[in-house]
Amino acid sequence: MIPVPIPIVAHLAAHVAAHHIKGPPVDWSALSPFVVLAGGALLVLLVGLLASAVARERIVPALTVLTLAVSIAFEITRFHHPEASIISGALQVDDLALILDLVFAISGIAAVILSAREPAAAQAGHGEYHALLLFSVLGMAVLVSAQNLVTLFIGIELLSIPLYILCAADSRRATSLESGLKYLVIGSVGSATLLYGLALIYGATGSTDFAGIANAVSGNSVQSGGLLSDPLLLTGIGLSVVGFAFKASVAPFHQWTPDVYEGAPTPITAFMATATKAAAIGIFLRFFDVAVIGAQGTWAPLLATLATITIIVGNVGALGQSSMKRILAYSGVAQAGYMLAGVVIGTKLGIDATVFYIVTYLPVNIAAFAVIVARQRQRAAGGDDISALAGLGARQPWLAWPMTIAMLSLAGIPGTVGFIGKLYLIRALVAGDYTWLAVVIVIGSMISLGYYLRVVATMWMSSPAQEPAAARAAVGARPAIAGGSPEADAADAGGWPRPDGAVANAEIAVLAVLFGAAGVVFGIIPSPLLRLVAHAGRSITGIF
Amino acid sequence: MTLSILIWLPLAIGLVAAALPPALVGRATAIASVVPLGIAISFLARFKTGQSGLQFVTDRTWISAFGIHYKLGLDGLNVSLVVLTTVLFTASLVWAASREWERPRLFYFWLGLAQSAVLGAFCAQDLFLFVAFFDLMLIPFYFLTGTWGTGDRVRATTKLVIYTLVGSFFMLVAAIATGVLASSANGTNLTFALSALQHLPLSHTSQDWIFLCFAFAFLVKMPLVPFHGWLADAYRSMPIPAVAVFSGVLSKVAAYGFLKIVLPLFPYAAVHYQTLMLLIALVSILWATSLAFTTTNARLVVAYSSIAQLGFIVLGIFSLRPQGGQGALLQMLNHGLVTAPLFFIVAALAARSGGSEDIREMGGLAFRAPVLAALFLIVALATLAMPGSSNFVGEFMILLGVFKAKLAIAVIAFLGVVGAAVYSLRVYIRTMHNPLGPRVQSREISWRDGLAIVPLVVVILALALYPQFGLRRSEQSLKATMAPAEVQEGLSPAAVAYIGAGPTAEYCSSPTPGPSLRGCTP
Amino acid sequence: MAATTFGWLVLLCPIVGTVIIALGYKRLPGRTPGWIATAAIGLSFVCAIVMLVKLLDRPEAHRQLTSSLWNYASSVGVDAKLQILVDPLSVFMVLVVSGVSTLIHLYSVSYMAGDRGYSRFFAYLNYFVFSMLLLLLAGNFLLLIVGWAFVGAASYLLISFWYRRTTATRAGIKAFVINVVGDVGLVLGTFFIFTHTGTLDFLKTFAVAPHVFHHDSTDLVVGCLLLLVGAFAKSAQIPFHTWLPDAMEGPTPVSALIHAATMVTAGVYLIARMHPLFELAPTAADVGAVGGCLTLLIAGTIGLAVTDIKRVIAYSTMSQIGYMIMGVAAGAYSGALFLLMAHAFFKALLFMAAGSLISAMAGNQSLDRMSGFRRALPFTFACFVIGGMALSGLPPFSGWFSKDDILAYLNHRGGGFEIMGIAGYIGAILTAIYTFRMIFRAFFGEPCPEAKELEEGHLAHAEVPTNPQTGEVEDTDVGFPGPEHHIAEREWPMKIAMGALAALATVGGFLQIPGVDDAIRRFLAPSFATSRLAAAAPSTGADWIGLVIGAAIAVTGVAVAYRIWVLAPGTAAVVRERFAPLYRLFVNKWYFDELIDLAIVRPVAWFGQVTDTVLDRDLTTSVTTGGTVSVVDALSAAVRRAQTGFLRYYVALMLLGISGVVIYFLVSS
Repeated sequence: MIPVPIPIVAHLAAHVAAHHIKGPPVDWSALSPFVVLAGGALLVLLVGLLASAVARERIVPALTVLTLAVSIAFEITRFHHPEASIISGALQVDDLALILDLVFAISGIAAVILSAREPAAAQAGHGEYHALLLFSVLGMAVLVSAQNLVTLFIGIELLSIPLYILCAADSRRATSLESGLKYLVIGSVGSATLLYGLALIYGATGSTDFAGIANAVSGNSVQSGGLLSDPLLLTGIGLSVVGFAFKASVAPFHQWTPDVYEGAPTPITAFMATATKAAAIGIFLRFFDVAVIGAQGTWAPLLATLATITIIVGNVGALGQSSMKRILAYSGVAQAGYMLAGVVIGTKLGIDATVFYIVTYLPVNIAAFAVIVARQRQRAAGGDDISALAGLGARQPWLAWPMTIAMLSLAGIPGTVGFIGKLYLIRALVAGDYTWLAVVIVIGSMISLGYYLRVVATMWMSSPAQEPAAARAAVGARPAIAGGSPEADAADAGGWPRPDGAVANAEIAVLAVLFGAAGVVFGIIPSPLLRLVAHAGRSITGIF
Repeated sequence: MTLSILIWLPLAIGLVAAALPPALVGRATAIASVVPLGIAISFLARFKTGQSGLQFVTDRTWISAFGIHYKLGLDGLNVSLVVLTTVLFTASLVWAASREWERPRLFYFWLGLAQSAVLGAFCAQDLFLFVAFFDLMLIPFYFLTGTWGTGDRVRATTKLVIYTLVGSFFMLVAAIATGVLASSANGTNLTFALSALQHLPLSHTSQDWIFLCFAFAFLVKMPLVPFHGWLADAYRSMPIPAVAVFSGVLSKVAAYGFLKIVLPLFPYAAVHYQTLMLLIALVSILWATSLAFTTTNARLVVAYSSIAQLGFIVLGIFSLRPQGGQGALLQMLNHGLVTAPLFFIVAALAARSGGSEDIREMGGLAFRAPVLAALFLIVALATLAMPGSSNFVGEFMILLGVFKAKLAIAVIAFLGVVGAAVYSLRVYIRTMHNPLGPRVQSREISWRDGLAIVPLVVVILALALYPQFGLRRSEQSLKATMAPAEVQEGLSPAAVAYIGAGPTAEYCSSPTPGPSLRGCTP
Repeated sequence: MAATTFGWLVLLCPIVGTVIIALGYKRLPGRTPGWIATAAIGLSFVCAIVMLVKLLDRPEAHRQLTSSLWNYASSVGVDAKLQILVDPLSVFMVLVVSGVSTLIHLYSVSYMAGDRGYSRFFAYLNYFVFSMLLLLLAGNFLLLIVGWAFVGAASYLLISFWYRRTTATRAGIKAFVINVVGDVGLVLGTFFIFTHTGTLDFLKTFAVAPHVFHHDSTDLVVGCLLLLVGAFAKSAQIPFHTWLPDAMEGPTPVSALIHAATMVTAGVYLIARMHPLFELAPTAADVGAVGGCLTLLIAGTIGLAVTDIKRVIAYSTMSQIGYMIMGVAAGAYSGALFLLMAHAFFKALLFMAAGSLISAMAGNQSLDRMSGFRRALPFTFACFVIGGMALSGLPPFSGWFSKDDILAYLNHRGGGFEIMGIAGYIGAILTAIYTFRMIFRAFFGEPCPEAKELEEGHLAHAEVPTNPQTGEVEDTDVGFPGPEHHIAEREWPMKIAMGALAALATVGGFLQIPGVDDAIRRFLAPSFATSRLAAAAPSTGADWIGLVIGAAIAVTGVAVAYRIWVLAPGTAAVVRERFAPLYRLFVNKWYFDELIDLAIVRPVAWFGQVTDTVLDRDLTTSVTTGGTVSVVDALSAAVRRAQTGFLRYYVALMLLGISGVVIYFLVSS
């Protein structure tokens, strides 16, 4: 599967080049993040070809992180600038895009850190693995700043194809391959549907440009009148709804999610859970709250219904699961439902709330997945099983606390950032006369307590003794009674599989603690984050 | 000395104590907990009686985007409850300090966080801040019950949290809706400050559903029938110090919420649903009373008796009469003071009858433990609101209020008074008197337990001599908080004077009693 | 110092006594607790006398003084101060109570010696006296209720003083609960009155009552009836009387003090205190009078049948209080209070004598076992006879003057009250019969073994102490009666106490000889100044006629008793045979216990069970909680079932979804 990315890169290069040759004025500073990502990806790919193991295993990840960091830097410099439309209106760099780009980059960095010493990276080849990650990030960036149907589709493909591969990266593991395959097949169906939809929309409105479509739909341009009842357009919208729904894993198009999340290498799962979802919701915002906002009367009820279904399905689905990755997959479905509810509102407030929710969703999810990765390394088998967390609170508090915070935040408990996110969302919903949807969210949260609390209870309230003896033996840990206080126990008898286990987990623990702390800090002092997203909606509100 | 210090000190203590060697944590926390107590008392001492306005106000912007303020303050309604909180937490910590807990650092940290959250909920003067603290309160008890509880603790604690959070989530929506709707309806900026909201009338329909959400949250928290499903399991498996403060103060936060938030903000709904609330309270009283008759678990008798007590408190509040309200406030204080020692005593009894809390296994305990018996007797008589106890004054005023509002309900409620006598004495006799139980060995109370119980009993006796202590400070604030509902009901023109005089000393001009009136028409 | 100051001192002494004894329960040696307690009450009796003197110094019109320490509960319209009301009525009651209490304390110093709970006993006893005095001096409804409940609690504590006897604890809780019912009645009645008068203060209430209530207005009648519930529960009037006989489980001094002399008469005091209200609501007053009348008859009949000596006296107490209630309700205030005082003397005396007798019987209380103690217990015998004569109303004893004063008033008042008068005379003859039945059975005839033993100078002691009710063997440790017994003949404190009371029972009547000195009526006059009924007292002549009739009836009763139990022993058996059903009715106490059990206790217990099982477990837990949970679980199962893991199913579902969405849009187009 290694050669697959090459054509993609070529394709992208050609695409960008094409715009160069035409030679319209290019706002390089606005374009910089894209350039950095593309360049970095190619560089990483090349470095990956080097013979030396050091280069492959150390430099490549470092370069990747560097690339992402630089892109972040460029993005930050662009903040709160008037939105720039680049490449002759193909892309628009505005706060909405920039914030989401940040999310992608951070989640990318986290993925890289989690992937260090992962078998997946080694088997896919470090260069390819990381390059694909970067390309995917680039694809997301393109997607969320897309201003016309073409860039939109390019973005989607560019983010999806690398992920298909990455899911299967752990090629020695059958489940990994299976998940990659599933994702590929279903994703292609989704892309196909989306493509149809876009085509129909173009046919109906005669424009690929969002602004043009918007004018056409809302009928305030000369050539087209009441398109709102045009089956062509509406069918188009419908099909694209489905296309996006796939990516955002909105029920009933969510079914790939649990399987793929479970099979894929955990760092990739983390990446998908945060970045892909953010990208999908981002395009939801761009497309529905900009392009076809005129037809809101038509699509809003449907999206609201989908959101409701998603929230219910996701939450009840997570209840009976034993694999943490599946639990988080379903919880991700439910969270997608919450975000979709934000899209439905279609006001500036709604967009702000949605974006803010995406932002709050990032750190806690990363923290949770980091803990899972750590446990998977500590246990020979079933590391992602919920039982692997039993007694973690006593033995490895620095893993238990982040997970606890993550769960409480996802459940929306005060003192965590998730609470503020829900608050913002509900506030927007109430203000937008969608109080009933707010109630649905609340009911969803109640059900979600059923599994979030279960995780917490397993960590703090069930004794380590419940950990399967087999697993303990397999990882050849010393008996739990070694050492004095439980904290001390955790260090040596915590079930480290390898003597270098502590080292292996250091960066993960740090990551988990950092993001977990973020989950609390921003829960208590949310204002910085709020200021960050304050302008996300503005860039769009120009339309309505 | 600002309220913030009082609120966050317990958490700080918990964090600092976590740095000590496990053996010392308990005693250190217990001793340190005297400081918040002292601070609270100093506030009580400096509190100016006879004015309804807020005192010791702290007001900072917390989340400017939503106009949410970190606003704290004391008025007649919460000042004594704040003191009660510190008193009970100190007592619980003292009680806990004389025992061994595994992972003591976490244990005391959670207790500290709990105290901070409860104090915050009482002091909060911003609707959203209140909601946040209200939900936060629960988390420590989730861990306390789940980690240090007995029996099927995980199931119990999960049940507890889900039940109460379900209520809280509805309240969250309702609270946000209150702010959003009120401000949008009146074209003001989004605000959650109670003082401001009081003057932003809401439409009747919104008042109705918002009221129901709040009521649901509060009723689950208390709990009243039929929202009490979590109570039995949770109370049975909570560790004693946790359950003492839980039934001592957490339930009061809910009752306080009715007085502080619901009545002034949703007077129309309050009047609209008055009968419903009264009936719920009445049913709870009878229901809980008859449960207390039948159960043989001493701890559960206490648990059910507190349901009945809270039933009375709600009766008082929704009599929508000042007497009822004053009685309810006083009763909150009293109930907190009796229920905590009762749990300690139950623990002492269990320790003397082979660890069982079943009253059938006890009996004849008074025999070599006259002091314990005397303490139990005093507390038991106070619990059944024997005239001469401050509890009686509370019940007297509550029932007087209900009597004026709905005579029939008051008359039926008196069955609860008689019932209380039966189940309280039943427990006292079955444990302290009658022939010696099978595995009972009668021991005098240890001075450590005495250290936790005796001060509380002394307070009970002092209040019995001077119940006015509880009534003095609250009168003005209470009249103010009840006024909108009274006017809504077209009751007392006198009440109009108090409108908005409020928990917030903002008087308003020429109020015209009308259906849409909340506080007054701006 | 003002009279009120001494009023406070009257209250202070006993409570201080309680605290001292309670705190020193470990250190105080031997009988010191008893002496401390006695001293405390004696002191408050002295204060009471000073209070009386101070009061008498004042002109008649200004003999109602109030004094308050601090606001007890005064907020939002409720105006309860910690306030006492000193007027002739309260002073009179305080004197009786503190005086009799002092003597009974003195008696107990010896009688309870040897009980392991000695200091506990006196702490309780002092606490009781404090509560009783508080009840009497209370200046407003709230404080009255407080005192009311305190005496109830004290009574509970003392009834179940021997707390490891299940019979005692059961009797205790029974008494307490019925008393709480009474409290509730009192509180509710207060509500009815307060909502109109807007004040809890007695004097204010009485002042405004005529203006806010029109004659016999419903609210007032209901209020007064509820007050009557309180009075009846406390004074053991039908149907709230069932606790009093069981209360005899307490030590005998307790029966003497609480369940004869003082607490049970609180109902009489309450009605007297509330007379302005009752006179405004005659309907309620009449109900009270009828209740008293019924009680005195029914109790009298039961007194004829039961054989436990303490219970006989208990029923006679009920019936005597019936007279008083009937009297105050009808308006014979001075007469009723006079009887109250006299009754306190001779009934306390009877109980003390009975106590001495029971000690001689080593704790056994059954009349069937006793006989011929005449020679063995001469002093006790003398006291018992004096008390008995006073009780049956033989001239010139106190009972004669007082009871017949009431009956004369009733006959004089007319308007249906004569019937009660006649009932009163019937009661009188019953009283005489059952009283002398006791005397003849216990003191005459062949000496029983214990009596013989005693004549030989040795006080009988049961080898194995047993519970006289159940006969089960008992320990003599804490919570049980002590091992040794004490009789008046050998204990001078008992002798003094009984002697004093015997004297009072004899001469007490001279306080109010019609025409000669109406001391009590005149003293109490200021308290009843406003009363219409008090003014309408019968003429001296009518009084004397009444007295003569009463004397005649009493003598007849004694004669009958003498005929049945001395001249022709065995007559009783014959009578029992002839009127078998009637006897069963009496000996089973008219089946009141069974009725109450059937009507109240069982239903409540059943309701409790139902709530526990059906409502709580099944309904609440399973339906509400379980219901929601199962719905969620079902959904969850469905979702997981859809998650087959097979691509084809996924794709199928997707296509379904796609078509659904598209159809939606097409429809909405």
